[in-house]
This record gives sequence, C-alpha cells and structure tokens, in this order.
Amino acid sequence: MATVLLVEDDPAAREGLELALRRLGYKVRAAETGEAALRDFPDAAADVVVLDVMLPGLDGFEVCRRLRRGGDIPVIMLTARGDDLDIVGGLEAGADDYVVKPVEPRVLDARIRAVIRRTARAGSPAESYGELMIDRGSLIVRRDGREVSLTPTELRLLLVLSGSPRQVLSREQLLDLVWDHDYLGDSRLVDACVQRLRAKIEADTSAPRYIQTVRGFGYRFGPV
Amino acid sequence: MHRRLIIAFIVVALVAALAFQLVINLLLPLFPRLNDLVILPPGTLSFLYKRDLSHRGGPQPTPFLVMVLCLAVLSLLAVITALAFAASRPVLQPVRRLARAAQRMSGGDLSVRIQPRGRDELAQLVTSFNEMAAALEDKVSDLEQMEARARRFAGDVSHELRTPLTAMTAVVGILHEHPGLTGDAATAARLVGQEVKHLNRLVEDLIEISRFDAGTVQLVTDETDVANAVTQCLRARGWSSVNTDVPAGLTARLDRRRFDIILANLIGNALRHGGPPVTVQARIQSGGQGGGQLAVEVRDHGHGLPPTAIPRIFDRFYKADTARTRSDGSGLGLAIAWENARLHGGHIHAGNHPDGGAVFIVSLPLTGQDHDDAQLADAQHVTDIAAPLAGESRPE
Repeated sequence: MATVLLVEDDPAAREGLELALRRLGYKVRAAETGEAALRDFPDAAADVVVLDVMLPGLDGFEVCRRLRRGGDIPVIMLTARGDDLDIVGGLEAGADDYVVKPVEPRVLDARIRAVIRRTARAGSPAESYGELMIDRGSLIVRRDGREVSLTPTELRLLLVLSGSPRQVLSREQLLDLVWDHDYLGDSRLVDACVQRLRAKIEADTSAPRYIQTVRGFGYRFGPV
Repeated sequence: MHRRLIIAFIVVALVAALAFQLVINLLLPLFPRLNDLVILPPGTLSFLYKRDLSHRGGPQPTPFLVMVLCLAVLSLLAVITALAFAASRPVLQPVRRLARAAQRMSGGDLSVRIQPRGRDELAQLVTSFNEMAAALEDKVSDLEQMEARARRFAGDVSHELRTPLTAMTAVVGILHEHPGLTGDAATAARLVGQEVKHLNRLVEDLIEISRFDAGTVQLVTDETDVANAVTQCLRARGWSSVNTDVPAGLTARLDRRRFDIILANLIGNALRHGGPPVTVQARIQSGGQGGGQLAVEVRDHGHGLPPTAIPRIFDRFYKADTARTRSDGSGLGLAIAWENARLHGGHIHAGNHPDGGAVFIVSLPLTGQDHDDAQLADAQHVTDIAAPLAGESRPE
C-alpha cells in the first residue's frame, strides 16, 4: 500500500487525518513542520505528500518548491482557506492537486489515488516529435536524447495529449482523463500542470511547440 | 463682502437722486404748481416746451422732450441693472461654488473642499462647509472600516472553524461505521455525523459569502454546454426527480463551478421548499449587452412564494416560512446564487407562476470574459482554432 507523508501543524487535524488515512489502508508518516518533513523526506520513501499550506516556519508553498527541486514526488496541497491565492500559489509551487479543508476522507483518498496512479505501459514503439521522444513502453520521455524527469501527473498529461496529436482537448476532458475529476474540477490545475510540463520539454516556454494553447477551448499536442 | 454691498448701494442711491432731480426739472413746466422747486433760470428749457398762451394749461411738451424722457428712463434702468449685477457677482459666485460642491457631495464625493476667499460671512460659510465635509468623510470612513472589520471577522471565524472541522470530518465516519455502537450511542453517533456535515456546509457557505463581501471572487469562464451542466449538477447530487428541458447544443461562456452553484442552490431550494415536480428550462433570449442572454428557469409546483417574501428572498438567512426552524440548507444558498449571477453580469428574478408554484429565472449574458486571460494561462502565445490545422506546417 502507498505511503503518505502528511505535513500538518495542527495536532488534532494531523491525528484525525492520520487515523482516517490509515483506515483507508495507507501507511502514514506525519510531520509537524515543513522543516521536519524535508529532513525526513529522503528517507521517508513516501509515494505522495499531503501538505498543509499554513505551516509555521517554512510555509507549504516553500516546502512544495523544495520537494520539487529534489524529485518528482506527487504533492497534494491541503488548503485551509480554499482562497484563490492559496490555490494559485500552491499550483505555481508545483503541487499536483489540492483539497480544501475540511476534507472528507473518501475525497482525499480519490485524489491521492489519482496523483500516484502509474500509467499503464503500452507495447507501442517510441514516438518522436521533433526533439521530443516519448516511449510509452518504458514510460520514458527524452528531450535531445536526455531523459526528462516528470511527475506521474505530468507524464499522464503528456501521454494523453500526445496520444491524439493535433486534437484539441478541453480542460474539462483533461481533468477527467488525467486527474480523475469527473465533475467540476478546477481547470487551473490543467493550466498549472501544462506550464510545468512546458518548462521541462519546451525549448521556449513563451512560444510552445509541443503543447499549444487553443484559446477558449483547451490544449492540443502539436502540430510539430 | 458687505463693504462692496454698501459701496454699490451708495452709488445706486446717488444715481437715483440725480435722476430724480433731472426728472423733476423736466416735468416742472407741465406742473406749474411745482414752480417753487425750479432751479434752472426761466427760458433755459424753451426748446423743450412750446409756450402756447392761448391754452390754459400752460406749456406743452415737444416730441423731443418725450423722446429724451424715454431715453433717460431706459438708460437709468440699464445703469441700475448693470450696477446691481456688478454688485451681486462677488456675492453670487461663492454661493454658486458652494451649491456645486454640495451637489458633488450629495453625489457621494465626500472629498470635495472649497478654497475660502476673504474674511467675510461667505468665507466663514465656506470654512464651515469644509469642516462639515471633513467630519462626514471621517464618519463614513469609520463606518466603512467597522463594516469591513465585521465582514473580515465573519470570514476569519469561518476560517478558524475549518481546522477543528478538519479533524472532526476526518474521524466522524469511523464513529458511524463502528459496529460496537448500539442504541443511544448509535443515535448519538449518527447525530454527530449529520451535524458535522451540516456545520461543514454552513462554514463553507459563510466563507463563500465573505469572499463576495471582500471582493476576492474571480470569474473563470469556459465555453459551457448548458444541457451537460444541468445534467451533471443533478446527477452529482442524486436529484433524479427533476424534469429538464434544455435544448442540446446550447452553449454559453460561464464559470462552470459558479453556474453549478447557482443551479444547485435554486434546484435544491425548490426541492426543499416547493412542491413537486421541479422543472428546469433553459432558453436563449435576445436582448442584453452584446446580444443574447441565457435564461434558466427553475420552477416548482408548490404553493409559491408569499408576496411579502419575494423582495427579501435573496437576503442572507431569510426564511419565507417562519414555522420552519431549520432546513438542510445553510440559509445562504439563494444569497450565494444571487451573488454568483451578479458576478456573471446577470441577475435572478424570483416570482410566482400564474399556474402556481415559485419560479426563479436566472439571466446571464452569453458573452463572458475569457478564461485564457487568467493569470495561469499564457494569453500571449495562443493558436487560433479557426486556423487550418490539417497538413499545414505552421511557423513556430
């Protein structure tokens, strides 16, 4: 079963969420502060981080940024306010998804499952688009021959978009296909993830070649 | 100021006295009894009067005299008018400035002030006016600050409630599922679970409404299929008894989440307080800005709204049925729906159908602001859907 690293400073909320997650079958490691989480992290071997935004000392945004620098572990922000600033800040810091407190255990469960879900490997040969190489068999993406490190969500987004080149996919469709939000997801999740993905695969993020915005409709892969 | 008035008065009085003397002199020959008042030597005015001795009445005025008299009276009037005007100008000007300032102030601009000139009564009035405006401005800004504080407080309280609610929401399910609980304990666990859910909803709605009060809400619009949105709204909440009549392919530029909130609150309200069946209809109406409005009608077949309730139906925590102590809702649902419609540039109309039952009609303009202008999306580098896609190499 997956291991969750839970970072929450309020003792009751931490204990309650830990209890709920454990009953859902997760292994839980809890940290009280961002510093403690980052200290534990390399050894914690967690599959996903559930991260409170309002933390004493290092705030959730900063912790998320540092986690991102260190690797590609999925991060779900736990926003106490659900205000746009928190959400936008969390997504810009690199979070894969967010939930708003108070969160029902089954909702948190569904979100965790979605962000740690590994894409099924396909037997098809590696595809090449310009300098970009996507291997659906080994789930490896290379740019100019160098492997690009992607989070599971970013990888899934790239595979979904490149799976039907030139076809426009709406934010709504992408939320359903990539995030498993079948109903009223936040389309900013898509925008933020597209920007992170572009930063990793595009030569010039201000003139994207692979992931193009189709104004008013969504995104499409190519034409390259 | 009064000095100028006195000078003007003296000038007018002198001119009037001279004019009086002149008129007396001119009229003298007509009225011989006034002979004692004659100042000019006899014969001086002979060109003005014909001496007709045969006539008993004495000297008669020549036409020249009549003309001169008329001219004199007219020019006298002109001089007096000009003098009065000149004397009143310095008085009227500050009064006009005051009037203009008062008008601006009643229009809501409390920052208006007038530069006082001189040291007379009008200058004092101007100073008093300025003092009054300043006091009023202070008072209003105090009130505004108090109101902002009260609103922030409501928002802050709701935020603070979220942390304990997080722990409660996380664990309340465990109580509920616990097999060891029977009888009173099971009832208690059910009640706690139910009320935690209710409290969650209340806090959520309070936070939402405090966002509207604080002006921090944002519209994130997308091209939305209305029929799809209605179906999803009903399905997500398990409302299978609602009849819908929405033409396929009807789209509008809407904030999907907020549109869903509007629908859910109106339909939920109809299901809770109205009578079945509840119907949802959507149409495009011409008119409005940029042509065309989306009109969504939610109707129930109950007793309708009491006429006294209609003007207040969108008030916060307003209950049309006072006998009802509490429902599943937070009491903020319709207020939130109203705010969301307003955010879209539209409105909600509440009323009763002629055939019975309450009707809520949401009118939203079809054209909204573009989501791609939002801060996360790159607005500068977008490709146009209208451009041909197939088989063309595009300059990158």
